[in-house]
Amino acid sequence: MPAARTGGIANFWRTHGTALFFMLPALTVTVVLFLAPAIITVGLAFTDTSTATGLSRWGWIGGANFEQLLRSSFTSIILRNTVFYVTTTLILNIALGLGLAILSVHVRQGPGRFFRALWLLPRIAPSVVYALMWVWASASPPFGIINQLAAPIGIEPRAWLSTDPWLIVIAINGFVGASFGMIVFTSAIQSIPEDLFRAARVDGASAWQIVRRITLPLLRWPILFVFVYQAMSLLASYEYILLTTDGGPGLYGTEVWSLWAFHTALNSYYGNLQFGLGAAMATILVLIGIVVSASLLRLFHFGSLVTEPRVEIH
Amino acid sequence: MSPRIRSALAIPLSVMFAVSACSTAAPSPAGPGSPGPTGTAAAPAPAPTGVIEERTSEPIAEGQVVAIRAWTIGPDAPSYYRRDNLVDAAAALNEELEAEGSDQRVVVEASFESGGQWADYLQKVTLAAESGQAPDIVLAGHENMAPWASAGYVIALDDLLAQNPDAFADVIPRLWDAMKLQGVTYAVPQDTEARPMYYRKDLLAELGWSEDDIESLPERVRNGEWTMQDLVATAQAAIEAGVVDEGKGWYHRPTRGHDHYMFYYANGGRMQDPESGKLVIVRDALQKYFQLHYDAVNTWRITPKNFLGSDFRQWHETVTSGTVLFYNAGTWSWAEWLKTYEVPEDEQWENVGFMLIPAAEPGGEPTTLSHPLVYVVTEASENQELAFRLLAKATTPELNSRHSVTSAHLAILATQADDPTYAQDEFLKAASYMTDYTTFIPNHPNYGAYDEVLFRFLSAVEADEMSPADATEAAIQELQAQIGDELIVE
Repeated sequence: MPAARTGGIANFWRTHGTALFFMLPALTVTVVLFLAPAIITVGLAFTDTSTATGLSRWGWIGGANFEQLLRSSFTSIILRNTVFYVTTTLILNIALGLGLAILSVHVRQGPGRFFRALWLLPRIAPSVVYALMWVWASASPPFGIINQLAAPIGIEPRAWLSTDPWLIVIAINGFVGASFGMIVFTSAIQSIPEDLFRAARVDGASAWQIVRRITLPLLRWPILFVFVYQAMSLLASYEYILLTTDGGPGLYGTEVWSLWAFHTALNSYYGNLQFGLGAAMATILVLIGIVVSASLLRLFHFGSLVTEPRVEIH
Repeated sequence: MSPRIRSALAIPLSVMFAVSACSTAAPSPAGPGSPGPTGTAAAPAPAPTGVIEERTSEPIAEGQVVAIRAWTIGPDAPSYYRRDNLVDAAAALNEELEAEGSDQRVVVEASFESGGQWADYLQKVTLAAESGQAPDIVLAGHENMAPWASAGYVIALDDLLAQNPDAFADVIPRLWDAMKLQGVTYAVPQDTEARPMYYRKDLLAELGWSEDDIESLPERVRNGEWTMQDLVATAQAAIEAGVVDEGKGWYHRPTRGHDHYMFYYANGGRMQDPESGKLVIVRDALQKYFQLHYDAVNTWRITPKNFLGSDFRQWHETVTSGTVLFYNAGTWSWAEWLKTYEVPEDEQWENVGFMLIPAAEPGGEPTTLSHPLVYVVTEASENQELAFRLLAKATTPELNSRHSVTSAHLAILATQADDPTYAQDEFLKAASYMTDYTTFIPNHPNYGAYDEVLFRFLSAVEADEMSPADATEAAIQELQAQIGDELIVE
């Protein structure tokens, strides 16, 4: 038997050795940068590790961090905020990205490219600069570009970040996120065979009918990708909220789950960072991410989208 | 590969990718020259990265040279003497060592961080302590020593203080309360301040107050004759008379910070039990504290709506424009208005007065709050006794007074009152009595969670999202959920 096992291992290396060798760099990166932190985070979630315990005086506390989150009245508020933020921003992201792609593809190539480049500016600008521009634009009266623009159309000047924080937070994230969808959708639209559009025009289809009956059905895969990717991104993103409202105003007015985890584990005003509790929050976030992405993939029939075509054309 | 397996792989991969792609930490939203422990502005706008400047004492050519490393922070730029006093104290310590016949000599390598953020600085200290690379001396807020002592990053100083009874004998006794954690001394004070209630003399005169009434106001507040109720009535009268606009009767701090707790203390609040060291919340005081803020914004309209979370720079610009009647801020703000907001000094003296936070009601006590910054000696230091002795040499009337005057902080030594540098500063001299009425925030590892809960509910009350009574009950429940046995509810 040992000889057979040795032979099996030798066979395995003969068959898969080269593949494993070439995969080693990627595997190392995945294990060191993704898998190990994930395992450490889940482990930390069951400890009381904080600045006050240091790395030498911590202890296992079972599910006490999760129990504390269950008992906290803040949990439901922040969960509700997270669902609202992700849903509304995602809708804005996809709709705006799709609209921009369709519009910019259907104008002449030069203006279309210029228009798309313009929408990419927020993405290439540093987050802090982009957020700061919004903070200044939405400053309280008599300041703020938004107030200057809104006053002539009868909108009362206000401190937008205090009175309408979600509007600003969603706009900031929505506008910067739309450029990602715009690029993906533009590329997908341009790869649709021109014959289909010509045939539709010959048959007398209107522009709306072409978009509705040809473009959108053929964009199902990129829409699914952008939808899932952006949903996950939004679940984990908090930097623009941190830089504008910092989770306020009022009782966690715009605090989302990832920002709560950041505030708890990494940004204590008084220096006692609660790594264990923050890790419990992060663990819950990952679980939410898995459930949401699984639901979205099922909703969009991901399985049928990745099925190999029944007819191969050579 | 089957679609089912692909789906199963796609889920965790997409989650991991998205999380890793989007979780880049952004700078925290604190403004330069301020956030955190020293209590200056914490504006909701990004701040530039802190600038760290190092200084080293004179090189020593003979003897056994011992390097003492120290980290200090402003973040306000004028507080650089937190570093320089340590560097300059090296000479005195070396003289003493020579007189003792010791072969040891110290060289001090100290850094000062300005324009940065407290949270980042504290995180740096934590990481250095965990990796065994902490400097010998760290400057911090007094409450920071609670988690650090608990984690074993800093040492108790009681034995060293007992061995050197004269070293810190001059420290104002009340400050030692803030240096202790459950009766053990872990820190020595570096500076302190107070948080007065400022008022506009010109606006009170416009309201019909006589010069005598205006000038005697600080004394009447000190005696408990003029209370917060009078302040509210005066602010309402000023709004009615058109002397100030609605919402400009009283400006409190616009962001999170210690200042808010002065009004909790003034209403009979307590934050820590001296016997057990546990955190304390007093139900009645908390409700009165919430009620005051609720009424100020929503009933009396002497404070603007949507105020908490607004920009600190704009706050300073508004109060220095002379359009707000009462506003509480730190003593350091006096210097900030002169230097940063360029108010001429004679004009400021002519138009602005300062007093203690008035008693909540007749028969009550006026108050203020101090947040002493402290030096701690780390566990990682290989020269703890020398580090302690350096601190003693850096704590003299001359050195502390030059820091006080430059950065507008109050004296920590009783003899500073007679120091010529300190005595020349009219403002510091006039505000010094406030330390007799001061209070502190607690030294407790869970204070961060405690403050987070109370600040969030204060924000909810001012935003009229909750009544003060509901907020009180909800805050206490949340505190109990988060802090558990370490909280006493009275």
